[in-house]
Amino acid sequence: MPKPLRFLLFAVILAGLLFLPRVVSPYKLLTYTTVLCLALMAQGWNFIGGYTGYAAFGNVAFFGIGAYTTGLLMLSKWQLPFFAAAPAGALLAAIVATAIGLPVLRLKGHYFAIATLGVAEALRQIAATWDSLTQGATGIDLPVRSDSSFFYYVALALVVVGLVVTALLERSKLGYGWVAIREDQDAARMLGINTTLFKVLAFALSAVFAALAGAIVAYQNIHVAPDDFFKVEYTLRMIIACIIGGTGSVWGPVLGAAVYQLLSTYVWSHFIELHPTVLGLIIIFFIVFLPRGLMDLFRRLARPGPKGRRIWRDLLLANVRASRVQ
Amino acid sequence: MSSAELGQIAVNALLLSGILALVALGFSLVWGIMNIVNLSHGAFIVLGAYLTFWMYAIWKIDPFVSIPISMAVMFGLGYLIQRSLINQVIRAPLLATFLLTFGLEILIVNLINYFFKADTRSVQPAYSGTGFTLGPVRVPYIRLGALFVSLALVLALGAFLNRSRLGRAIRATGMDLDAARLSGVKVATIYGLTFAIGAALAGAAGSLLSTQVAFDPNLGGPYTQRAFVICVLGGLGNVVNVLIGAALYAVIEVVVGSRLPALSQAVTFGILVLLLIVRPQGIAGKGFY
Amino acid sequence: MKKSATLLALAFWMAAACALAADTIVFGAAISITGKTAKEGEYTRDGYQFAIDKINELGGIKVGGKTYKLEMKYYDDETKPERTAQLIEKLINEDKVNLILGPYGSSPTGTAAPICERYKIPMVEANGSAESIFSKGYKYTFMILSPAKLYLRGIIDAVRSKDPKVKTVAILGENESFSKEVAGGAAEYAKEKGLSVVYDELYPTNAQDVSALLTAIKGKNADIILGSGHLQDSLLIVKQSKDLGVSPKAMGFSVGPSSPEFRANLGKSADYIFGATQWTEALKYNGDDPWKTPKAFGDAFRAKHPNYKSIPYQVAESAVAVIAYQKAIEKAASLDPTKVRDALAAIDVMTYYGKVKFDSRGVNIYKPMAAEQYQPDGNKYTVWPADVAEKPPLYPMPAWDKR
Repeated sequence: MPKPLRFLLFAVILAGLLFLPRVVSPYKLLTYTTVLCLALMAQGWNFIGGYTGYAAFGNVAFFGIGAYTTGLLMLSKWQLPFFAAAPAGALLAAIVATAIGLPVLRLKGHYFAIATLGVAEALRQIAATWDSLTQGATGIDLPVRSDSSFFYYVALALVVVGLVVTALLERSKLGYGWVAIREDQDAARMLGINTTLFKVLAFALSAVFAALAGAIVAYQNIHVAPDDFFKVEYTLRMIIACIIGGTGSVWGPVLGAAVYQLLSTYVWSHFIELHPTVLGLIIIFFIVFLPRGLMDLFRRLARPGPKGRRIWRDLLLANVRASRVQ
Repeated sequence: MSSAELGQIAVNALLLSGILALVALGFSLVWGIMNIVNLSHGAFIVLGAYLTFWMYAIWKIDPFVSIPISMAVMFGLGYLIQRSLINQVIRAPLLATFLLTFGLEILIVNLINYFFKADTRSVQPAYSGTGFTLGPVRVPYIRLGALFVSLALVLALGAFLNRSRLGRAIRATGMDLDAARLSGVKVATIYGLTFAIGAALAGAAGSLLSTQVAFDPNLGGPYTQRAFVICVLGGLGNVVNVLIGAALYAVIEVVVGSRLPALSQAVTFGILVLLLIVRPQGIAGKGFY
Repeated sequence: MKKSATLLALAFWMAAACALAADTIVFGAAISITGKTAKEGEYTRDGYQFAIDKINELGGIKVGGKTYKLEMKYYDDETKPERTAQLIEKLINEDKVNLILGPYGSSPTGTAAPICERYKIPMVEANGSAESIFSKGYKYTFMILSPAKLYLRGIIDAVRSKDPKVKTVAILGENESFSKEVAGGAAEYAKEKGLSVVYDELYPTNAQDVSALLTAIKGKNADIILGSGHLQDSLLIVKQSKDLGVSPKAMGFSVGPSSPEFRANLGKSADYIFGATQWTEALKYNGDDPWKTPKAFGDAFRAKHPNYKSIPYQVAESAVAVIAYQKAIEKAASLDPTKVRDALAAIDVMTYYGKVKFDSRGVNIYKPMAAEQYQPDGNKYTVWPADVAEKPPLYPMPAWDKR
């Protein structure tokens, strides 16, 4: 698609998104805001899990840190406004990510995943027991805000920023460094890339995004409790969103978040009792047949070559053929 | 702390380590041989628990007697799932099997919830709660029995892997996939059998757990987490490491449970992360079978 | 299947409602039909539906000359509090329900309350007794049941009535908002009555093993052990106490014993164990509602649901939430949410469940807690307050190995 046409398309979509709150019910708006927050988290995860290839399994820790910091600052004696409290939460999350990242990013593969998972679980328990700070399991309640469009616009703005940031970083030295680390870390190191710095930056960046998402969800939800804001489901959702959309791409996380959340909402309203089963099936489907996500699928479909049913079968079975054992 | 309390804590840790070793055994085998961290391990545990529950409720089969049956059923199920599903992505990057098994767990647990409902169940044979006393310390029979069964299965697996032809084929496949294939081993079958054994052991653990805790479809998740930690503590490599890991973990959990119960997971994971940083291959392990 | 019958009934009512076009009052609810508190969620839903059906049977509610039938639209929140919040949003915004009935449990209620506050729709909640929900100044939420910190008082009083010299108490609580308050309230009350609290710890939610805590308690030789958690926790504690030979003189739980599952899972081990209860059929209230007495309510419910032998209190308190709404709507003579809210705040009526009246925060502090006990003849009796008790409490509890 030629460039000017592409920009026009973006502008139209953006205008539509900006106009949305006026035509949609507050509940639908809530769903869209949830999509945007998931997209935000997925965009963050994309840096560490997608570009750098380190499957972090504990990013909900930063989500929770963002939520609690924002909430506590807004409820504190200074009564900070949201636009001051949320960045503070993001900053704290980045600091924690750096502190944890330095030792933990030395681990590889499964061990890294488990270590990050462990950190998230530990934080959950700490939040549940540190009564004097977090009110423990009882949770805190943020000030009530009635206009749902506020959360929508904030989330939308952040997602757009995320897209820009991802696009810029992808083509920067940092982005190439990340991919180099993912493909062959030792070679990258030998080429003079400071792998520790790059990895920690990716991790800290993912923390910032997760924390901002946490701040928005906390404010929207009003009630913040450890079991809700530190649960592993959030990490899984952001990872699945990335997988569905395509890791290591600019639009992947956003596309994946939209597809996942909309699928999930549809499944939920139609198959209430069995919706986790359907979700499990969706996860399995993507992992087996489309592990590189929809962005990759679109890219391959756009390539010149024979079309028709054969190409679909080849595309879908390609992963299985490559990954199975006879 | 009085000596009586200390003694009881020691006994609790010992008994707990037995069942935890069994919980972690199948998980460790699958991880060590196939490099799959099986997040659906917990689902197999729950299925085993339900099997024993129904066998007891309908046919009055003693839970300990039901173990071979539940193991056989889980073996079949595990083989089926591995061959038809997990095998398709086995050589993909690790995140793939991680997430696949996670999706599988969601599916299985939800189906259990749907068919069996979320009611709390437990298996209460006539001898539950009975035990003998050694001075101030009390040893419940059911837990002791579970310890013996677990040890027996651990030793049986060890013997199988070391002495039988099939066991050695499994270990060879785990060590070097291509070499094994070149020497005529049917890798797909081996993988299927390995996973099936892992599932069978999980089923046995579930059967034992059904007599010790009141369970519902969500029983499995925390045990999968524990299996993680035990494998990291003890290291992959052989069955003895699983025993070591389980013993260590049991001690940590029991000690923390008596002093800081609300923070038990935080402390456990803290130790886990520290250990991973300092000695990722585990206390005794060499990283492979 | 009961479920499809309910769904069919709901579908019928919805169709009928559409046909009659808008002469229905729709209550919205997000209840845990699956998940950890699935059983209790079922009791809640059945309670709500029972009252709704009865009121409809008696002709509905009259508001300003028009008669309205009642209807409930509910969703399963899977015992996940953030699901509850989402569902309440859906019910208010999409399904456009008139009024909200509370979920099961304090944590979900805690997430629902701020949402009702935001949209200014009243919620009468019958199953979330944590007072922390009411410390935020929300005006639209009302707690019809007795608050958490009163829960274990009945058991402490019952034991003290048999043994005024009882000395020590050990308290085990689940680390979540409701159970924490119950444990805290119990410790406070015990101290007030001159007992010494020798152990007071919280265990994480979904704990599978409390043997370490019980071992510590065994060492302290507590006279009474009180557990504050949910059904699964109470089962676990009893089983593991038996395993470890921890035999106090009395054992009681805030939640669990009132549920038939308790006896079903424990068999004879349930004997002598106390349970806190908001309500039992043995109590002697006489109220201004369709059933009037607890016994009549129990009989009527059993007639409709023959598989219930004894009625869990969650059923009774859920049904009375609907009755409270009925009274408030009739008094307000309007369906305007704020007017209904104001009428609820001023309500003062005796029902088969006990007194329904809210203090300035919205908490019903006017109804006392009762205590039940499982006895060796196989039944469960109301043993406190003494003036309405069916049988006196049995004390002390014989040691596990001596039965």
